Amino acid sequence: MTTVASLSGRHILLVEDDFIIALDQAAMLEEAGARVVGPAPTVAAALDLVARSEHLDGAVLDVNLRGETSYPVADALRTRSVPFVFLTGYDPSIIAADYADAPVCEKPLDLQRVARGIFG
Amino acid sequence: MMALRADFCWFPVHNTRRNLIRSRAVLSAGPRDATKGEDLQMPQRDLLDTMLKRQKVLADFADFALQSDDLDEVLQEACRLVAAAMGTERAKVLEIEDDGDSLFLRAGIGWAPGDVGHLRLSMQDHSSESFAIRAREPVITRDIAQEDRFEVPDFMKKEGIVALVNVPIFLPRQGAFGLLQVDDTRPRDFDGHDSAFLRTYAGILGPIVDRLLRLRDLRATEERFRLTVEAAADYAIFVTDAEDRITDWLPGAAAVFGWTAEEVRGKPSAMLYTPEDRAAGVPDQERDTALRQGSAPDVRWHLRKDGSQVFIEGSRRALGHMPGGGFLKIGQDVTERRLADEQLRASEERLRLLGELAPALLWQADATGDRIELNGRALGYLGQSPGELQAGGWLDSVHPEDREATAQAFAEAFRSGQPLELQYRLRGRDGGYHWFLCRQVPWQDANGRLAGWFGAALDIDELRRLQMRQEVLVAELQHRTRNLIGVVRSVAHQTMGETGSIGAFREAFDHRLKALSRVQGLLSRAEHEPITLRALLSLELDALGAAEGQRLPLQGPPVCIRPSHAQTLALALHELATNARKHGALSGAGGRLGIRWELRDGPAGRHLHIDWHEDGLNRAGACPAEPRADGGYGRVLIEQALPHSLGARTTYALGLTELRCTIDLPLDAGTSGRS
Repeated sequence: MTTVASLSGRHILLVEDDFIIALDQAAMLEEAGARVVGPAPTVAAALDLVARSEHLDGAVLDVNLRGETSYPVADALRTRSVPFVFLTGYDPSIIAADYADAPVCEKPLDLQRVARGIFG
Repeated sequence: MMALRADFCWFPVHNTRRNLIRSRAVLSAGPRDATKGEDLQMPQRDLLDTMLKRQKVLADFADFALQSDDLDEVLQEACRLVAAAMGTERAKVLEIEDDGDSLFLRAGIGWAPGDVGHLRLSMQDHSSESFAIRAREPVITRDIAQEDRFEVPDFMKKEGIVALVNVPIFLPRQGAFGLLQVDDTRPRDFDGHDSAFLRTYAGILGPIVDRLLRLRDLRATEERFRLTVEAAADYAIFVTDAEDRITDWLPGAAAVFGWTAEEVRGKPSAMLYTPEDRAAGVPDQERDTALRQGSAPDVRWHLRKDGSQVFIEGSRRALGHMPGGGFLKIGQDVTERRLADEQLRASEERLRLLGELAPALLWQADATGDRIELNGRALGYLGQSPGELQAGGWLDSVHPEDREATAQAFAEAFRSGQPLELQYRLRGRDGGYHWFLCRQVPWQDANGRLAGWFGAALDIDELRRLQMRQEVLVAELQHRTRNLIGVVRSVAHQTMGETGSIGAFREAFDHRLKALSRVQGLLSRAEHEPITLRALLSLELDALGAAEGQRLPLQGPPVCIRPSHAQTLALALHELATNARKHGALSGAGGRLGIRWELRDGPAGRHLHIDWHEDGLNRAGACPAEPRADGGYGRVLIEQALPHSLGARTTYALGLTELRCTIDLPLDAGTSGRS
């Protein structure tokens, strides 16, 4: 069973537009041994990070980013075969049908679930 | 009553007698013809007496006949008188029956009681009666033993009749009525005087019988008429004269109007009209129309004796062809039907009003749904003409996305006869679509067959909008709650990281939670009460016990803060205020705080520029161990969270005597910024 320990040493892209929350999420990921890439508050910032990061093992994507959705980021990650989970405060059913197969975690962030979502 | 007779036909009577005239046979004179001149042998004196006596008989009979309307009585008297005049004991009247083949012993004297009024004789060609009718004059048989012209009925022979005279009775301008027979049991030599007398007698008798027959028919007709009109108790029938005064008032009229014949006879028929109709001249108009056109309708309320009103449906017919003219009025009391009709109409009108009042589109369709009728509200909403809506034409008003499903659901209902419930969007005449909840139920006729459908569609657009909005609100609430939990957790972790003791943590965390709570209060009311920067600042400063005044100059135009910005901005301002309270301008150790803000236009839209300025600080003696906000959570919020979360540009400069913090917040860029 996948555990939090599987995050250790992994490069995890964090996309979250609320800094206060992102700060805590980043701290949690780092405590688990992950290396946080980000956090990125916008789609543009996240895509920039995806493009610039040589090494990405996984990603945690907040769905709504200042009125945008993080689907373009998901697409970029898919292209690179980087596994990711969606994170949302809304009901998981709001995820668009095209991404129905992607794992969805509800806020607040639960490391165990995120680890399982990313690494199976 | 005279007026009414014209409506009835005379019944054809005594046709067979007419036929007998036509078939008159050639008469052969008998061996003892009555015209033989043997009269002179009678003594002159006796002859005169006899003739006087017979004259008197004729006169008496005529008197009697004038005073009696009873045919049987008159014929009986005729028999009695003729027998007396002829000096015989027997006489009778035989009436030709309608079949023309038999004779009926109508009246008689000297005959057995069981015979008169009962006996019928066959009337054959060779009978004495037929012979006499053909002869059209008295035929005398002096002795039946020697009679060879015809046969004499057996019953007469049994009675011992020997001599007789058959006198045919003719009705004026018609055929024979029958025969007067004078009989004698002795051979009798009737002479020419006898014959002449009997001929005269029959000549008087004919018109009298004729009159009485007519009277009898008339009476039968009248009786039938009387029975008919008196049985028609629902029909008010009465007759007025040329001046429209009531002359005949039948039982039906009495029953309908309440007045007796005595009470109304001679009074103008206008008394039966309502005062309003009388004032409007209705009776005269009706009379004029009847005179001009023969009849006039009379369909209106009339007055009854007790003052109540009765609705009459009838007519007035002018009796111009009758002596004296006048009018016949026949009308039926249809008050109950009228009231029922009125109640039905009122009921229908109430239903119609209810249909218009109900905030629904209502319709009624035939069994197949091809023909529909809609209420005014439905026609008004759809803006289609009734014709356009027929045969499924109303589906044009259904939203294209809902049309197929709607058409299928209705087709299935019409096919199966099952009730239907469905929601779909209907286009109004303004082109906009509203959601409707539609229900349609079948109704059966008296035989249990599907007769049609009633339907109602309720505009649920507002309801659906509210439902959808509620769903959104619930989702937002869920989202906000989950975010808040994340924020609280984060604040707790951060606070934990910067405070050493549990007591310090508790105090700092408590203040931050309170600040979070305050902004949640503003957010929950944000829908109705936009959050302003001044409100955010006042809330934080008030919480520190600092009142807005000269020491707290808040200067700036009214600016609304987006709900999605409020929480992070409030937490940042809370940190600034808390630090001012602990170490800066609000600590009581001197110094001034000024907060100014303004709106600036930039390339990407408007910015809110906030300038937080504390001066007159004396930080020279400040303990270096107290870092103010430097490196603390407040500084993190200002320098990292505001740029990250709100896209703001911030500065934070702490000097020995002053602190300046600026926050430049884009107002138009981006949208909600919620995560």
